[in-house]
Amino acid sequence: MQLSDRVTGAVLVVLGGAAAYAGSRLPAVPGQDVGPAAFPMLIGIGLVICGVLIALGIGRSFEVEEAEAELPAGQGARRLGGLRALIPPAMLLFYVLVVDHLGFLPTAAVIVLVMALALGARPRLAVPLAIIAPIFVHLAFYKLLRVPLPAGLLPVPW
Amino acid sequence: MTEMLEAFRMVAAPDVLVAILASAIYGLVVGSLPGLSATMATALLVPVTFYLSPIAAVATIITASAMAIFSGDIPGCLLRIPGTPASAAYTDEAYAMTRKGQAELALGAGLWFSAIGGIVGTLSLVLMAPLLAEMALSFSTFEYFWLAFLGLMCATLVARSSPIKAIASMLLGLLIACIGMENPAGTPRFTFGIPDLLGGVEIIPALVGAFAVSEVIRAMVTPEPPPLPRRKFGSILAGQWRLTKKYQVPMWRGNLIGIIIGVLPGAGADMAAWVSYAMSKKFSKEQEKFGTGHPEGLVEAGASNNASLASGWVPALLFGIPGDTITAIAIGVLYMKGLNPGPTLFTERADSMYALYIIFILANIIMIPLGIAMIRVASLVLRAPRSAVMSVILLLCAVGSFATGNNLFSVILVALFGCLGFVMERNGYPVAAMVLGIVMGSMVEQNFITSLIKSDGDVMPFIERPVSGVLAAMTFGALLWPAGVWVWRRFGGGRLPAAETPR
Repeated sequence: MQLSDRVTGAVLVVLGGAAAYAGSRLPAVPGQDVGPAAFPMLIGIGLVICGVLIALGIGRSFEVEEAEAELPAGQGARRLGGLRALIPPAMLLFYVLVVDHLGFLPTAAVIVLVMALALGARPRLAVPLAIIAPIFVHLAFYKLLRVPLPAGLLPVPW
Repeated sequence: MTEMLEAFRMVAAPDVLVAILASAIYGLVVGSLPGLSATMATALLVPVTFYLSPIAAVATIITASAMAIFSGDIPGCLLRIPGTPASAAYTDEAYAMTRKGQAELALGAGLWFSAIGGIVGTLSLVLMAPLLAEMALSFSTFEYFWLAFLGLMCATLVARSSPIKAIASMLLGLLIACIGMENPAGTPRFTFGIPDLLGGVEIIPALVGAFAVSEVIRAMVTPEPPPLPRRKFGSILAGQWRLTKKYQVPMWRGNLIGIIIGVLPGAGADMAAWVSYAMSKKFSKEQEKFGTGHPEGLVEAGASNNASLASGWVPALLFGIPGDTITAIAIGVLYMKGLNPGPTLFTERADSMYALYIIFILANIIMIPLGIAMIRVASLVLRAPRSAVMSVILLLCAVGSFATGNNLFSVILVALFGCLGFVMERNGYPVAAMVLGIVMGSMVEQNFITSLIKSDGDVMPFIERPVSGVLAAMTFGALLWPAGVWVWRRFGGGRLPAAETPR
């Protein structure tokens, strides 16, 4: 997601302004000049200054353009190219929402399967991986590290 | 002396030795995979360290990070894709050597001088830390404020980005650190009514999100790197002794620069490698050979990034101020294991400190045989399909962050920081500066507000005390340095080559 410096600068100005305003409304500690408000206000003002400078393009001469090869167009369903970036965070949210109901093993298998297929793995690789990897992760974290991973629909024999 | 013997006994415990060996292999493999950095390797280790003894926990972090920093040279040299950001400075040079048919020499130089750099860096840690500890005993909140702030400013000088964007990233990190009620007055701030935010943003989910998930997201939108051609390597260490003798001066300069940059709070291995490579080029007698496969820069920068790794522990152990993102994680582990950073650590827990030194030396010695083995199997490891590696990494991100507090909210944080890290990196905002802002936010605020309360709102004590005056001058130097470079480039010589400006 390549945005222009004007956009990111403006976002910083808004964020800094909001932080400074919200900070200034924090209750003061009675009998003391400096309290919880001072630090967010300073940071907010700093962010506003930085945002303005960035939007004006100051300091860009220091940046090294990194030529990053995007996925070549016209390779399968590449029209949705940008949206692919949302798959990993979506999978993490999926984990949060369903892991307590489905249990760790099925949830993890779905995540690995979807991710592997989205990254272009053949089903010949993705399906065995989705079955084996969650079992190993479960063994390592549940047995060795004693992390309480939910059992859900598919309790494990160990 | 008894402490020294006790330290040897601690390191020789079977669980510590197993932890060192396992984390060495883990670090080598993760570091060599493009996109998986040394910081990420360490962040994913944290849940594991919960269940280890204190010395074994610290040993895994030291060993895995040292191995990962070396191992990042391997794909850089063979594929022209740096495995870790600390190798990026000399990737082109190493790849040029491979194309000239000197892959063994380039990889061997990476390995040999990494090990030397690591050992010299450790010696500097052994010598410097007790001396500084004595001084640190007299530090008050004013000095701690400046030290933490200096660390943040150094983090903004990290290579290849606009200094203003770096400062903005750092401020963003500080703002994130404001969330919760961990502030001098205990007032809930910016929690938006979410009870999970009352305790603040935890550092491990933020790190895992910003470094690991953002990398997984990046893999979704970039093409897969080409597979490594299978090749037979000749002797890896042949010719290294000749290089050592020939490039003695660059090697020592690299070690020294690495140590200095490592000791500065906030500046770590990436910056050491960039600065050293630029220095090497500037002072070389054969400048025209740089970029065509010349080992001199490799020697200097390879030694430098590993030296900075060890000396980065100096501010971490003495002040609890991270030298880089790896020690930021290490500090958390130290607190968890009852080895609270501070000057008294060196007097009260001297045996643990000696054990730490021994682990450093040991890790850098076993790096040579294990590194050679890793180079030989590299083509196999690098053949692992990215779709498999990245999908398992995402699963580990979810489980690892959940394990830090058995709380699903951390997984949401990981997802958010993954998106934030990805967008920031795409637009030239350095993620490491933001992460250090989050790590040090409460420390900066605590010391700043306490100092202001002590001085009744007067700012003079911040610059009147001798040590804090020096630290203040250094901080403003770091702040004004890019402006000075800009003015000089614009109106002065105007011929300053881009590679020499420490950014």
